[in-house]
Amino acid sequence: MKDDFAEVEQRIKRYWFSDGIGELAGGGMFLLLAAYFGIPQFLGENNLLSVILQSSLVLVMVAGIFVVRWLVTVLKTRLTYPRTGYVEYRVDKKHAIRIRTLAMAFAMVIAFLMVLLARSIQIVDSTVLVTGVVVGVVFVILRGKSYGVQRFYLLGAISVVIGIALSFSGLPNGYSLAAFYGLMGLGVMISGGWVLFRYLKNNPLPTEGDNE
Amino acid sequence: MSDDLRRVTELDRLIHEPARLLIVTILSTVESADFLFLQRETGLTKGNLSAHLSKLEDAGYVKIQKTFKGKLPLTICKLTAAGTKAITQYRQQLQSFMEMTTQ
Repeated sequence: MKDDFAEVEQRIKRYWFSDGIGELAGGGMFLLLAAYFGIPQFLGENNLLSVILQSSLVLVMVAGIFVVRWLVTVLKTRLTYPRTGYVEYRVDKKHAIRIRTLAMAFAMVIAFLMVLLARSIQIVDSTVLVTGVVVGVVFVILRGKSYGVQRFYLLGAISVVIGIALSFSGLPNGYSLAAFYGLMGLGVMISGGWVLFRYLKNNPLPTEGDNE
Repeated sequence: MSDDLRRVTELDRLIHEPARLLIVTILSTVESADFLFLQRETGLTKGNLSAHLSKLEDAGYVKIQKTFKGKLPLTICKLTAAGTKAITQYRQQLQSFMEMTTQ
């Protein structure tokens, strides 16, 4: 019975990801980061746009998060809620902070071990390696394990593989990070797009009198 | 009457009914949910869900509110403090009953 309650709870939490809209928005954020790291490398350190971009990471992230949240709300209101219903989730701040802290600590330990390994090899870009591992662990622990969404395990694995592959690429740091976020952004958006396509196909707009 | 049987009879019958138990369990995991979501998750018909929600509302376990999300009309259902207390107590009672019977 306890397992039944837990299964219902996880299914309800999983509902947030059933339409892929969150992933499409998250993928957009990754692409934004790709541009953030790639443009200064392409234009050169002394270019005005590079200087502005480099000094405004927090602003870019905060603005990006606001836009993404607004976009997710608009899309869910138009596409998801009329089809399969509206849910407002309860935010257990203490639990969320504990899980996030644990996940970040775990990710940092793994990343630290990877950096030690990288230094012993000496030909790898440790920044992109750490980024790949941290993003991968966040996908697996915060998304895959907490919500039971299987495709996040795959995205986590892809993140680690891309991080490791790019760390051996020999690309300048800005380009390797841009490539990482660009590839991850595309991967997450493709995943989200496919899920949204299937969701819309499987859940047509209900008409009056349905389920009577 | 044995202790085991007495514990079963003490269970909240309003929540013990399978459809209402599912409704209350769903609502206990979220801040609120609308009628359509509950209907899809429980698999009940509109009439059936309405009847169960009315019973829960009459008992003071659920609060029902008609509102809008943008231009979308919604019938929002939310578990009250009494409802939260009832489902928590129900789960505890059931858990202890299960433990006793498996010993």
